[in-house]
Amino acid sequence: MTATAVDTHPEDARQAEVRRPRISTNKIIASILLVAMTGFAIWSLTRIDFSPHNFQLSVQNLQKTIAQMDPISFPSTPDLVYLISVTLGVVIAGTVVAAVISIPVAYLAASNTTPARWTRIIGRAIGVITRAVPDVILAMAVSLMFALGATWPGVIAIGFHSIGMISKLFADAVEQIDEGPRIAIRAAGGSKPQEFWSGVFPQVFPSWVATALHRFDINLRGSVILGYAGVGGLGYRMNLDFQRFPEGFGPALGIAIVIFLLCVVTEIIASTIRVMLLGATPTRRTLGETMMRRLRRGSRPRDVVADTLAQADLTVEKAMHRPWSRGRISTTAWAWVGVLVVIGGFVMSRLDPKQITWKYVWSTMQSFWPPSLGSYDVGTYVTAIEQTLQIAFAAALLTFVFSLIFGPLAARNVAPNRWVRNVSRVFLVIFRGVPELVLAIVLIIITGLGPEAGVLALAFGGIGLLGKLIADSFEEVNAGPEQAVRATGAGRLQVFSSATLPQGLPSLLGNTLYLLDTNIRSATVLGIVGAGGIGYYLTLAAGLTATHPIVTAIIAMVIVMVLVVEGLSNYLRRVFK
Amino acid sequence: MNRTTTSSIITITDLTKDFGETRALRAVNLTVTRGEVVVLLGLSGSGKSTLLRHIDGLEMPTEGDVTVLGQSVRSLRPTALRSLRGRVAMIFQQFELVPSLTVVENVLTGALARVRGPRLGLSTWPKNLKQEALTHLDRVGLLHRAYNRADQLSGGQQQRVAIARALMQNPEVLLADEPVASLDPESSDVVMNLIREIAAERGLTVVCSLHQVDLALGWSDRIVGLRHGEVVLDTPTTGLSRDRAMEIYGHVSVSTSEFAAIESELSVAGAVGAGS
Repeated sequence: MTATAVDTHPEDARQAEVRRPRISTNKIIASILLVAMTGFAIWSLTRIDFSPHNFQLSVQNLQKTIAQMDPISFPSTPDLVYLISVTLGVVIAGTVVAAVISIPVAYLAASNTTPARWTRIIGRAIGVITRAVPDVILAMAVSLMFALGATWPGVIAIGFHSIGMISKLFADAVEQIDEGPRIAIRAAGGSKPQEFWSGVFPQVFPSWVATALHRFDINLRGSVILGYAGVGGLGYRMNLDFQRFPEGFGPALGIAIVIFLLCVVTEIIASTIRVMLLGATPTRRTLGETMMRRLRRGSRPRDVVADTLAQADLTVEKAMHRPWSRGRISTTAWAWVGVLVVIGGFVMSRLDPKQITWKYVWSTMQSFWPPSLGSYDVGTYVTAIEQTLQIAFAAALLTFVFSLIFGPLAARNVAPNRWVRNVSRVFLVIFRGVPELVLAIVLIIITGLGPEAGVLALAFGGIGLLGKLIADSFEEVNAGPEQAVRATGAGRLQVFSSATLPQGLPSLLGNTLYLLDTNIRSATVLGIVGAGGIGYYLTLAAGLTATHPIVTAIIAMVIVMVLVVEGLSNYLRRVFK
Repeated sequence: MNRTTTSSIITITDLTKDFGETRALRAVNLTVTRGEVVVLLGLSGSGKSTLLRHIDGLEMPTEGDVTVLGQSVRSLRPTALRSLRGRVAMIFQQFELVPSLTVVENVLTGALARVRGPRLGLSTWPKNLKQEALTHLDRVGLLHRAYNRADQLSGGQQQRVAIARALMQNPEVLLADEPVASLDPESSDVVMNLIREIAAERGLTVVCSLHQVDLALGWSDRIVGLRHGEVVLDTPTTGLSRDRAMEIYGHVSVSTSEFAAIESELSVAGAVGAGS
């Protein structure tokens, strides 16, 4: 445990000398790196034009747009039902496809299941590549293979892109399983596939479902941008409305509101499925989880007695039939709900094999090779990547500062009273509830701001995520040291700084780096709607077969960029563990 | 193998096992005949688990050979090795049930070597195997818990499920690795008696590792002591009454013989085990 200097022994001085650890070279390098990254973030923030003049301009733009646009309106009911069903269908179908493909990918990527060293590299590489290709870019790039207005590009794009995250989290879960049951199955003569399906999969099934549901939520929030690639649904309609400047902005905002509400509703449904199907404890992570928590407060945990058979006159014959206990009924019912949602999703996505233009499939795939920089010089790309990184770092810094205020206040063991904590929690849930891409699009288009709007939108959404993660990690610290410090007569702030914060620091760092990671991906996509950066060039290149080699080249750059930042993050996390 | 007799089920010849720099077993020789109930005694880290894992073909020797049921584990191809593992059942200190599966599904995993391909869910198992699993559960007295999740059972009950899972293999050899080290005394008795009864009913050959001397004396046919990966004691339990054993302890504990060393280590192990 940490050696606190409470020792009044005469040998104090000598002990202090002995105990002082030597600062390792890694710590020094990592510290310098951390300072450099913070420095870059501060510099990025100063480069973003938040001057009063610029702000005034955008407020004027906003006022002008609001004055000229049609009032906020919603599509007619049949229209609305159709749009929502297409969007939901594409997102569900894409996420399900990705979740299924993620099983073999995670099998290869997890160190304890992969057959050989090289297969693990393949598994990890699939994850990295699929994550680095933004879904909207893929949708644009493959749209030529399909008839106009087909939903295939959307499903393919979501299905491809989501493999990265789902397979990574799933592989992590596989690596964390209890190896014992699996060894027991091996010891009983089970084959490798039997080991996996009987010993590993039942252990990670809850995490697989939870990850898929989480990804579904992210995909739905991001789906609006697929409209820019011509994928039908709410995003497409919003894009069309925004193009009618400025009258169309009213209906477009209406769609944005619908998307926001849809996110809230589906999130509640997803939480319900997660809790009811898996018997998972609601985590308050999101709006739906918070609701489930309220609803289930006071309800009994799953009944053990109900599954136990009556012992009197019990025979093997009688025991052949499993009783329909309340728990079994509920689990089965929710499993069917899950199955129906998946089937419904595929129906609603309106995938039609006839819409595939087979003669373009092969030529489109070929068009991406070999990669080329096109008519731009290297400097153009460097500047663009720099701009994307600036947006990501500046937003991360803003988020970090505000989360450091809201996060601790939302933690039970830090907040001065219940009231402050609950208000902070509600704030965080609202922040989190707004899909940041929708916010970014609205801000960018209405205010006419480029990177500035991107930074604001990312920072805003990030506070909900990081603040929440900070609050949770603070609540999870070991309460022992807090009590010990409190017992010495320390005040609230002293307890926080001496016991809570030091314990929470590693996860604070980890979560901030995670935020930076997601920011970089989002910043890439934001380029598509006008925030600038590398995403802008991707958008230009993805639309034409002739420029597809540039897409490959830029994707390679994005992969390198993401890998470098991820590598640095992993290094920092390891050193400051 | 020149030392193999017709009735020998397990023959271990000059078995040495290294894990990197560490030598876990050094030149171990051991022959176990059909129907024998052998206890391996020793501290944790003395090589008991490693030895058991070799008998089930979960580890391969660095040097020497392990022959089980007439087959040398080194020379076996993966399929043959799996079918050998199917004939040798193993139960573990931590039970190692799949926590989220029902009790009966856990028992059924003992039959995986008998079916082709993976199984997921109770309905994927043939009816006769399910019936067989329930019969084994009945034998260990847990038929009524068949449809509970495994993690809803107490430690002692989980170990009995693990025994049912072992029975599901229709084994010829039963290996047990510290089967009661995580259990309270009452459950320990139930589990140890159950293993002994089942061994007698089915004429099983049993190799069980333990660290409690008392438990071993009342239970086994033969005691093999291990220390630092070496066999330092191999004697029949018959004629070794508790008093005799205590007498031997008293006699040798003042000398510097190896048995005294094990005995003192064993009592330390017991204390550590009880404390953890």
